Amino acid sequence: MKNTASRSKFVLVLAGILLFGLLTFVIRYFMFADRWISHSHRSGTASIQKVTDRSGTVLYAPNEDQVYAKDAMVRKAALHLLGDREERIDALAIKQYIPQLVGFDKLNGTYGNEDGTGILELTVDGRIEAVALQALNGKKGTVGVYNYKTGEILCAISSPTFDPYDPPEITDANAEQYEGAYLHRFFSYTYTPGSIFKLVTVAAALENVPDITEQTFTCEGYVYVNGERINCQGGKAHGEQTLEQALANSCNCAFAEITQQVGAKNLINKVRQIGLTESMFVDGYYTKAGTFDKAFSEANNLAWAGIGQHTDMVNPCQYMTYMGAIANGGKAAMPYLVSSVESGGAQRYKARRTYTNSMITGSAARVLTEMMHNNVVKMYGAVNLPNVEVCAKSGTAERAGHENTATFAGFINDERYPLAFVVVVEEGGAGSAACAPIAAAVLKQCISVLNEES
Amino acid sequence: MEVFQNLVRGPDGITVLSVCYLILRIAMPVMAMFIMIRCGKSLLGFRREPEVWAWLRMPTGNLLPVTHWENLIGRKKTADIVLDFATVSKNHAVLTRKDDGSWKVTSIGGRGNIEVNGTQVMTGNVEYGDTISLGGLELTLEPVSKEEARLQSDARTKAGKGHSPGLTLVLLTLFQMMVVTAFVMYPTEHRNTILTAYGILVGVEWTLFIGQKLIKRSGFEVETVAFFLMTIGLGVAASANPANMFKQLISMGIGLVIFLVLGVFLRNLDKAKKLRYVAAIAGIVLLAANLVLGRNINGSRNWIYIGSFSIQPSELVKICFVLAGASTMDQIVTRKNLLSFVIYTAFIGGCLVVLNDFGTAAVFFVGFLAIAFLRSSSYPNVALIFVGIGLAAVMVLTAVLAIRNIPHVQERFSGYGHIWSHVYDNKGYQQTRSLICIASGGIFGLGLGRGWMQVMAGAGASDTDLVFAFVSEEWGLLMACMMVVALAFLGLFVARSAKVGRSSFYTIGATAAISMLLVQAMLNFFGTVDFLPLTGVTFPFVSNGGSSMMCCWGLLAFIKACDTRQNASFAVKLSEKEVEKA
Repeated sequence: MKNTASRSKFVLVLAGILLFGLLTFVIRYFMFADRWISHSHRSGTASIQKVTDRSGTVLYAPNEDQVYAKDAMVRKAALHLLGDREERIDALAIKQYIPQLVGFDKLNGTYGNEDGTGILELTVDGRIEAVALQALNGKKGTVGVYNYKTGEILCAISSPTFDPYDPPEITDANAEQYEGAYLHRFFSYTYTPGSIFKLVTVAAALENVPDITEQTFTCEGYVYVNGERINCQGGKAHGEQTLEQALANSCNCAFAEITQQVGAKNLINKVRQIGLTESMFVDGYYTKAGTFDKAFSEANNLAWAGIGQHTDMVNPCQYMTYMGAIANGGKAAMPYLVSSVESGGAQRYKARRTYTNSMITGSAARVLTEMMHNNVVKMYGAVNLPNVEVCAKSGTAERAGHENTATFAGFINDERYPLAFVVVVEEGGAGSAACAPIAAAVLKQCISVLNEES
Repeated sequence: MEVFQNLVRGPDGITVLSVCYLILRIAMPVMAMFIMIRCGKSLLGFRREPEVWAWLRMPTGNLLPVTHWENLIGRKKTADIVLDFATVSKNHAVLTRKDDGSWKVTSIGGRGNIEVNGTQVMTGNVEYGDTISLGGLELTLEPVSKEEARLQSDARTKAGKGHSPGLTLVLLTLFQMMVVTAFVMYPTEHRNTILTAYGILVGVEWTLFIGQKLIKRSGFEVETVAFFLMTIGLGVAASANPANMFKQLISMGIGLVIFLVLGVFLRNLDKAKKLRYVAAIAGIVLLAANLVLGRNINGSRNWIYIGSFSIQPSELVKICFVLAGASTMDQIVTRKNLLSFVIYTAFIGGCLVVLNDFGTAAVFFVGFLAIAFLRSSSYPNVALIFVGIGLAAVMVLTAVLAIRNIPHVQERFSGYGHIWSHVYDNKGYQQTRSLICIASGGIFGLGLGRGWMQVMAGAGASDTDLVFAFVSEEWGLLMACMMVVALAFLGLFVARSAKVGRSSFYTIGATAAISMLLVQAMLNFFGTVDFLPLTGVTFPFVSNGGSSMMCCWGLLAFIKACDTRQNASFAVKLSEKEVEKA
């Protein structure tokens, strides 16, 4: 009997497993319940009323048979934030706030919430996004604009896109046309930056090379670094230039020299300080982290990296934030997409302003701002908008097997329109020619929206 | 602040009614906890004072207590009566008390030399005053005097002492009244159905309680746990399909008959041992009927229909299986009946392969493990290990066949572990809805009858396979936890009682029964929350399902039979003192 009795502890093992499982599950409930609930509207267990843009225009009403915006261009432009009907595109920002949309908290669950009353307001404006998509004119790429004082993202579009009412059947034949159509390039892609990266190199130079603004750099159209020939665009000799002129000319020869003076360590540190190689969290989206060489055993590689080639890759949203930091004197508001969520008539979420780390010193930011405005005045007439001070830099990034990627980044240095922007056009050719008109059109629309709001 | 506003807000905003509803929503799990604590204290806190049935006088004059109906005598420390003499074998003999109070002694494996009053025997009756000689050591069997019996019964914890089961039942009734109130507070067309069904439940539990009081049995915690679970189960039925409430009650009625009849049979060990053969045959007949008449529902053929009434014979076979597997000590040590049990198990395993019922096979497998482990006793029982491996193979085979042949089983298995990639297809549909609804219910639930899971009842199995999520959504996570804890308490009780068990027959029976119930709970709960693949097993006493309900009550009889607290259980004979009083 003693033996039988002690062997009946078999039951204790089973009860132990059961109770351990229960404990594990309860812990998991407290850790993940909001993640579970974030599937609720798609699974049919709960519904939400609508997603609007900053003007209150309905972009998406999941309740009523998944209705999107009336205007086809707005519909296509906002698609990546809203998700398609087949859920091939993950609407991460909306998903992030489903708990608030269905009135969920871990104590009450969704108790007391009237189903189908959730309203989510995005910071974007449908009209601005439509203009941006129009301006891209069918090219692949992305356009992002945000308010570096508040953090509101006014525009974040990704192309190629499609009409959610008429989703394309993607086959081998059109796979190229729809390459990456289900991803939001603004958050989930990285690009070779090209010369817009010179804004990082300049910042590093301003902070680490004391007399950099007094130096001059002579350009003969090419220079040899460690035996490798580095050309200026079109082999054009820029002659003797200051740092400001070299930036405006986007002179590769001068920057090869500047990069050597900055040194690998300082440049790497600058990239790290700006956070270009890290992922950033923006309302449900983890931006794709950029890359930057870690060692630079060869001087020519360092030179190329300072010019925005070599292994440099940056994420558009991340780079736009850096533009905001320059504009805002060193650090900017963190970008966000969702301004508020309400459910059952009660506000469940309201965006709060947070700031980035300090990316550059205030004095470097001031000098860069002047230089970037000089770029616009001297080189990018297209974005030289009346009555506002636009600051920018273009880039033309080489991409193996493809036409060059056109990049453009900058900001408006104006209290009334504190906007930073980034434009990337894949296979767009020369940076400023492809991107500056797009940036101009979008910024104009932004200004008119902001005027309307005030 | 918002969290608290949400807590109070009802479907019509914050009103008097919504505040009352809030109080109810919180009071229900609190009351449930209170009931469980009372049951737990009573079931797990009793003093394990052994019952002394006789004395063995040593040649030195020392008296050794004989504390079970079956006592292993030997040199080994694990023996019940340890005789540390070189001439005594490690496991020498078994001293067994028969139902009529007489004793017999049996030699183990024929190696232990036994003489009763000088005559060598393999097995022989022993009267009080007789001398048993084990390897030359002479012991005299002496009775327990009335005075000793009285002292002993006073020393033992009376069931329900300090934790009146009557009061616990009053609390359970209050809980049931709260449940009914929560259902009918806001208008519902099923008001009368719900009131009637719960009325019947309350009536039945009080009748059973008073009936047991009349026959001087005072332990009601095991039944209280079952009725608590049934209260939740009825609530699930009320929400999913009120008509099922009566089906559940009828099944409970049949289950109770099985429970009472089996319990009374178990009181008498000789009768119970005879019942085993009947049970074994009944099990075979049931499964055979299943094989012949079984209809294919969702790929498993484990249903038979009699008119509009459907039963799952494999559920009832569980009771037969436990009865057939339980065994007394003298049989264990002589390995009597082992072969028949092995063959019996193999037969059941074979049937389940044909029936494609993987979940049930898993439950039987654990039941078998429990029985085999307890029966292997001090012997390394090669045959049982062999059968264990064989049965495991059968289970794997069943699983493989089921996965291969039945699309829905295949889908369930292939979705396991990554259900969130299958929110829209059958691979993860049920579990994702379960987790979403568990979250939606929060700690206190959305309210009885007001969840989403009810739309998935029936074909979606939310009221059976996913019942943990169903309860969690409507009654709250706290209540769902209580439901699991309740069963775990029964398990702990069985393990605790084993030390003062009278016969290994009862210990094995109770261990096997509760093991099967626990594994059912485990497969059901873990399957729902994607800790394991969904196997479609019911949660004891809660899931909607008549056969399962009957089976659970039947298995509960074995647990009652191992409750040897003083005058606790109707399935255990009254102590002589109480009989005298009566």
